[in-house]
Amino acid sequence: MQPRKYPLQTVIPATLIAFALCLSIRAHATGGFDANGQCVGDQNGDGEVTVDELIIAVNNALSGCQFTPVTLQFRGMVGDQPFVCGNIYHNIGTTNGDIVPSDFRLYIHNIRLVTADGKEAPLKLDQDGIWQYSNLAMLDFENKVQPCNAEGTTLTNTVVHGMAAPGTYTGVRFLLGVPFNLNHANAATAASPLNLSAMFWSWQDGYKFLRIDTAFDNLRVHLGSIGCQTGPGGVTTGCSRPNVGEVNLDNFNPATSVIDVDIAALLSDSDINSNQVNTAPGCQSEANDLDCVPIFKNLGVNFDDGSPNPTSQKFFRVE
Amino acid sequence: MVSMRSALMFRRRARLRQTRLLAVSLLLLSGVASVARADYPWNLPPGFPAPKVPDDNPISREKVELGHFVFYDTRMSGNQTQSCASCHQQALAFSDGLPVGIGSTGQMHPRNSMSLTNAGYGATLAWANPLLTALEKQVLLPMFGDAPVELGLAGKEDELVARFTADARYQRMFAEAFPGQADAISVNTIVQALTSFVRTLISGNAPYDRYVNGLDDNALSPSAQHGGQLFFTERLECFHCHGGFAFSDSVNFAGNQFDETPFHNNGLYNIDGMGGYPPNNTGIFAITNVPSDMGSFKAPTLRNIELTAPYMHDGSIATLDGVIDHYAAGGRTITEGPYAGDGSKNPFKSGFIRGFQLTDQERQDVLNFLKSLTDTDFVTNPHFSDPFTTVSCTGDCNLDGSVTVDELIASVNVALDTAPLAACVVADVDGDGMVAVNELIAAVGRALNGCPATTNTQNRE
Repeated sequence: MQPRKYPLQTVIPATLIAFALCLSIRAHATGGFDANGQCVGDQNGDGEVTVDELIIAVNNALSGCQFTPVTLQFRGMVGDQPFVCGNIYHNIGTTNGDIVPSDFRLYIHNIRLVTADGKEAPLKLDQDGIWQYSNLAMLDFENKVQPCNAEGTTLTNTVVHGMAAPGTYTGVRFLLGVPFNLNHANAATAASPLNLSAMFWSWQDGYKFLRIDTAFDNLRVHLGSIGCQTGPGGVTTGCSRPNVGEVNLDNFNPATSVIDVDIAALLSDSDINSNQVNTAPGCQSEANDLDCVPIFKNLGVNFDDGSPNPTSQKFFRVE
Repeated sequence: MVSMRSALMFRRRARLRQTRLLAVSLLLLSGVASVARADYPWNLPPGFPAPKVPDDNPISREKVELGHFVFYDTRMSGNQTQSCASCHQQALAFSDGLPVGIGSTGQMHPRNSMSLTNAGYGATLAWANPLLTALEKQVLLPMFGDAPVELGLAGKEDELVARFTADARYQRMFAEAFPGQADAISVNTIVQALTSFVRTLISGNAPYDRYVNGLDDNALSPSAQHGGQLFFTERLECFHCHGGFAFSDSVNFAGNQFDETPFHNNGLYNIDGMGGYPPNNTGIFAITNVPSDMGSFKAPTLRNIELTAPYMHDGSIATLDGVIDHYAAGGRTITEGPYAGDGSKNPFKSGFIRGFQLTDQERQDVLNFLKSLTDTDFVTNPHFSDPFTTVSCTGDCNLDGSVTVDELIASVNVALDTAPLAACVVADVDGDGMVAVNELIAAVGRALNGCPATTNTQNRE
């Protein structure tokens, strides 16, 4: 049997087909709604599907959606100063301590731009073979200069680049961490940026989502999923504390805003001059390390169960 | 040492005879040059199943020979001071004799370096980690872990690959172990070779084995026989956790359909009277965060246990006699210090650890039985020994102490690139990845005059 050929060369017959398709969609149990609960084809969200909207949809079917490039700018900070490997920063935490950072890297994923009325548009990341893979991106503020030389990389990355639907966006949302399916895959064969051994967290069968180290090794912040379990065949099936942070930022303009990632804000509620006895220096996501409580709060993670708590996070802010 | 030029000249001359030689060698060598990957010759002890091998890392002689070198190579640590063998020494059944391991930068591990005896059969690897269900997952920890630093390779994966890439022997061995792979030398292939070698560390020829397999009725003294009877009683209960061919209940093997990962609390600590363990050694609680998992560790194999002192996950019991004391008391009581407590009353303790009484003779019998699990072949087997320093009889491909015509032909085929280097690693005396004419002549000399009688020299020929 020959495949049927549709006369899609002109818009008008295509529009008719779109009508037919729309009707057939309506006949299904979905009720004609998309995954976000919006009527399929109702681009402006007024509850109606107009002919204009159908024409746009058909043109999208013919030539693909017209996304526009978006670049998100990030900046590694310690308070109001830029992050620099080996610099001494003062007045950190509740006891106004000093730190000399020696590493500052993190993974974020599931990045969405947000309109003024709260609608989300996913940022489809360019697959650049280095910093971005699938819907995951790595930010790397260290440049391997002493004392970041132990496990660092010369290259840095402070941007995330991708494509999004055209629109007027006033906010950005993303998750701090590595998606579950990527977090527990074979690190030895993983694609960049998941092949950086400094971010391996092999004893928990995952990655460090965030890595902040300091010289003299007196303070570390290593965020990652804990309490993970394996099922048949040794496959990791879940984690009791995912420890994935959720970040919602308003007053954001993709073209001009910079997102500051601030170690001083992260540690603002911590006494960095003391450490709970018999726990890792700082916070390495151990369930019994109460030094993690204020740090997790500022990361947007509930320490008790590892669930996200976007209202408490202040590690990221829009400048 | 022979120059590259003379090696190449030999190759040219050799190629003239190649056809005839190949015809002969193919007849004689059938199988040697290309051991079937799907059917690796494990040479298993009686009663041993084949180890479980991941689908994405089929074992081959090429990988095993390569992994053998990698295991002993100090290029495997960040500062090139340690290899895997630093903490896993053959003479000590691949443990290190220390209470806890000490990494390449001097950091102390909280736990004792485990024996690698039959490591390929572990349902889980390491002392207390239910997530490490395959050697491929486990080996990333000593390589890249930074809390504590062991080999100290985190952030140095590119340097690691560069070190191996700069070595001609490794270039050949990786290419032959991972044929057709664009990047034959990578973190993944290093891991796959290493784990393939570790899977071959099979120990099953102890006096106990020779006795139970009917090979030698006198292999066990009457005392050891009696100790074995005690070991397998409900009175001592040893066998529940230390049973089966591996003398551990944490086992997996080819064809096994059950992915059980048992862990047990054996009453070493009870710090707060509520089951507490030292905070850096909480057992699988550190992974699961389940309160009742506090102090649960894997039951290690008892094979070669005589050689792997000190004992327990933290090396806190110095002797086997002390271990028997511990179990006889049904747990350990620590009277003072930060870890004081009555371990026998640990609420999470295994129900099999109830305590028992032994006469002096019975205690000696149990000790003798445990010592009958020492496999001297395993700890002296040249296939597991340091390939960089152990004496090798040039051309003695199978390390059996004599060079046969088959082995000479294998050496020639390695020289001609018609067999992988893994077919006769010891034909390449100078380690340049090629077998040159002087090396072949040395092998012929060994075939005619015999191998050196001593095997304990620390120099290669």
